Amino acid sequence: MSMTGTERIAKALKREEPDRVPTMELLIDPKVREVILPGASYEEFIEHMDLDGHVLFDKVYSWKYETVDEAKGIVKDQWGALTQFGTELLGHPVERAIKDEKDLDRYVPPDPDDESRYEPIKQWIKRFKGERAIFAHATDVFDIARESFLGDVLYYEAMVENPELVDRVNQIVLEYNLKSIRNQIELGADALSVTGDFAMTKGPMVSPKHTARFLTPATQKQVELGHELGVPVFKHTDGNLWQIIQLLVDTGIDGLHPIDPMAGMDLAEVGAKYPDLCLMGNVNCGATLSWKSVEEVRQEVKECIKKAGYGGGYICMSSNSIHSGVKPENYVAMIKAVREFGKYPLDLD
Amino acid sequence: MGTGILEQISKSVIEGNQNEADRLTKQAIQDGISAVEILDEGLIPGIRVVGQRFSDGEYYLPELLVSGKAMRFAVQQLEPFLSTGSGSCTGKFLIGTVKGDIHDIGKNIVAMMLKGNRWDVTDLGVDVPPEKVCDAIKGGDYDIFGMSTLLTLTMPAAHETIEAIKKAGLRDKVKIMIGGAPITQEFADKIGADEYAQDVWEAVTKAEQLVGGA
Repeated sequence: MSMTGTERIAKALKREEPDRVPTMELLIDPKVREVILPGASYEEFIEHMDLDGHVLFDKVYSWKYETVDEAKGIVKDQWGALTQFGTELLGHPVERAIKDEKDLDRYVPPDPDDESRYEPIKQWIKRFKGERAIFAHATDVFDIARESFLGDVLYYEAMVENPELVDRVNQIVLEYNLKSIRNQIELGADALSVTGDFAMTKGPMVSPKHTARFLTPATQKQVELGHELGVPVFKHTDGNLWQIIQLLVDTGIDGLHPIDPMAGMDLAEVGAKYPDLCLMGNVNCGATLSWKSVEEVRQEVKECIKKAGYGGGYICMSSNSIHSGVKPENYVAMIKAVREFGKYPLDLD
Repeated sequence: MGTGILEQISKSVIEGNQNEADRLTKQAIQDGISAVEILDEGLIPGIRVVGQRFSDGEYYLPELLVSGKAMRFAVQQLEPFLSTGSGSCTGKFLIGTVKGDIHDIGKNIVAMMLKGNRWDVTDLGVDVPPEKVCDAIKGGDYDIFGMSTLLTLTMPAAHETIEAIKKAGLRDKVKIMIGGAPITQEFADKIGADEYAQDVWEAVTKAEQLVGGA
């Protein structure tokens, strides 16, 4: 009898062999979904593709927004930043919430206990619990504190010139995230995902010293809460992580996503160095899934499974998300290839 | 005396110490050192070290930004003394994020570093349609147009922009550079850009090479 998606994901995160390599995504753009299965809801699409899990991305499912300029797609996010939505599911902050440190003294954070935030996760749990893994989600503290609160420039400058300001902002976001994570897991989420980039193509955004001082402590608190509540946790960060990967592993994460191929991260290399880590992702959504051929997708999926799938501990995913530039036929080819090559025991030589 | 203070100015930029950069620049002006000399032998050598350290992975975004800020503070002190034509401008650079993409930090940092290296930079902002780029190239005497894209999705917009420049008969008027997280040399070659820069310092050095500089 075949395993459920929930079981496959649980096994993979424990670095054990499921019946086949599981697959899921952080986000699948509606435009791609619509071409593959016209008129279907996200839930119907997940069932149709038989994906093993789903991430309830907080920015999409539980954050609150107020419309500011409909024509320009500008909204105020729940932290007070103006965010512009372009062609992608996630917006981009265009005006930060905090202009001046004094703004923090009268800052009222959003309410993580507002019940209406959790309606979507309740629906997903009702529909998929026991069949497909439901991932609670938190956008990592660094991401929110930098993008929504202070803006990139002020945040980075404050790391050097005013570390107390960074600590204050980080703490506000962390407190919200911890309550939100607890609420989602207590409702029945099977695992936790913490997403937010710490690195760029060439290396970390900030030095390993600053990463250890300002970034990973908050990640660790979220990971520890997940574990305390009995669920495994994965961290997503794009980029070349080699300078900071040990810091990430030391937070206690069970899985790491997406082992970014465009930044030169290699599944075999990470797997060899961190055999206890579940590896997730690596199917190149910048090049292969976006503009290469179906056969090239098939070969890349095979290669990923060959590098990371033996012995379990691999979840085959794209190297970020199925964004709107992904060719729908390539995503379908990716899923077919996971089924073709991902059946345990693997035999790919 | 002069040499000493210029070295200290360089050091203040390298260390991102804006108060020192500001104070020493004022002091140098008072000492009678020309603004061009302060810029060319104090500030610019400093910001070049910063750029190189960033490129070498020794400095990261926070260090780059505070050094850039120190440089800006100091340059403000010099502006009243820098008449048009005093010292040479490296070239004129037109920059923007491609249509459909609203990310600006990479573009802004490149613009900042170019300015620090004596480029005259015109920033078209984000989500810039190809026709706006063509109008700007027509209306200005730019050496280089540099475009940025963070999204895989907007990579085709970079291609469309180059095609629009060609169609408008402007391709020979400017050199074209491209950068951004999803961009590769392969893609830059494919769409016919003159240069691809993987990071901010590569952008500065390759821009200089394109105009026949250092």
